[in-house]
Amino acid sequence: MANARALDKRRKSIRNIKKITRTMELIATARFKKAMDRATSANDYTKRITAVVSDLARAGLEVSHPLLEAPDVTKGATLLVLTGNRGLCGGYNGNAIRLGAKTLELLKSEIETVTLDVSGKRGVSGFKFRDIEMAENYLQFDDEPLFAEVEEIAERYLREYAAGTLNRLDVTYTKFHSVAKQEIVNETLLPLGSIEGADTPVDPEVAAGNTALYEFVPSAESILEEVVPTSFKIKLFKCFLDAAVSEQVARMIAMKSATEAANDMIKDLSRTYNRARQSQITGEIMEVIGGVEALEG
Amino acid sequence: MAQINLVIVTPETTTLDADVDGVTVPLIDGSAGILAGHAPMIGRLGPGEVRTTNGSTTERYYVDGGFVQVEGNKISVLTGRSIPASEIDVAAAKAALAEAEQQEAGNADLAALKSKSIAQARAQIRMVESA
Repeated sequence: MANARALDKRRKSIRNIKKITRTMELIATARFKKAMDRATSANDYTKRITAVVSDLARAGLEVSHPLLEAPDVTKGATLLVLTGNRGLCGGYNGNAIRLGAKTLELLKSEIETVTLDVSGKRGVSGFKFRDIEMAENYLQFDDEPLFAEVEEIAERYLREYAAGTLNRLDVTYTKFHSVAKQEIVNETLLPLGSIEGADTPVDPEVAAGNTALYEFVPSAESILEEVVPTSFKIKLFKCFLDAAVSEQVARMIAMKSATEAANDMIKDLSRTYNRARQSQITGEIMEVIGGVEALEG
Repeated sequence: MAQINLVIVTPETTTLDADVDGVTVPLIDGSAGILAGHAPMIGRLGPGEVRTTNGSTTERYYVDGGFVQVEGNKISVLTGRSIPASEIDVAAAKAALAEAEQQEAGNADLAALKSKSIAQARAQIRMVESA
């Protein structure tokens, strides 16, 4: 039987680890709430933009823009993989890296030049480990990605798209559905394909010019010109927000199960410790009795 | 005086949600004043200043372009960034202007992006200097 003192020592260290994982769980929960609030505010913005688009479509404007149409030939593509800056969050980073590497292979087999952009320290070191070359690293995003920072990246992609060096942009990230369900997905953001609200049926009254729903200043076309890049930016921003929320949820769950595992281990160790202690005491009593008997005899 | 509800929304947060007497928004081709009872309108914003008046107080916000939608006595300003005039960082804006002027403008799209960045930086500088 193991030494009782050694067992007690192990139990103590597990208790300390449990304290840490429990705290991390609470921190992740608080951060998750914050990230969730931001995601909700972004939804508000998206809703309003969608309303503008559907009003444009209802007025009979054909929604078309270079960003919406697939180019004739796809020569250059970029894959952006979103991971976290920190670990200890279960399979969150690993899954993103794995799907990212798989998608990259797939893109490379179809398209001539494919570059890889990675956000998050974990992703950067993961791809370095796999000997996959990266074009850009972004380490500035944490649990609260700023729109201004995402916009900068979005503008760069838009510039490359306009210059013709980039024909396709894919993003691999963890989509947040609910606390119980997050899913690692790969989405094609450029060309945009369609924007939400664009398929609103045309109102014949409005299209004929009999009634006007809205006055468009300076013109519906000019507004469309601005709406399309904006919806791309907001879509990319949503990806970052979703990834941030998912990371916190993943950490919350990972730390919760770590705390539970620590509890189980403490229970097990306590039982073994008590047994060891008991048998030690029994042994000592036997020795004492043996001694007494030897004296009497 | 009849009031109109103004909401300024950015992707990150709702910056302002208030009832005001009147609003001046920076449309792409000049500013427009909006009072209560305005006809439904969707407008494209340029970088510039949103000015709200409420009685005798005036508040100023810088917005980075975007849209304005007026419907049913509600004004929604959708913009990428909105900051109160007092919080504009002139030094940063000047640096951004210098950088934007160096940008390449090889084709029409690039040229449009360049002039947009220049306009944004200039609008911020102008707002502070006119105050």
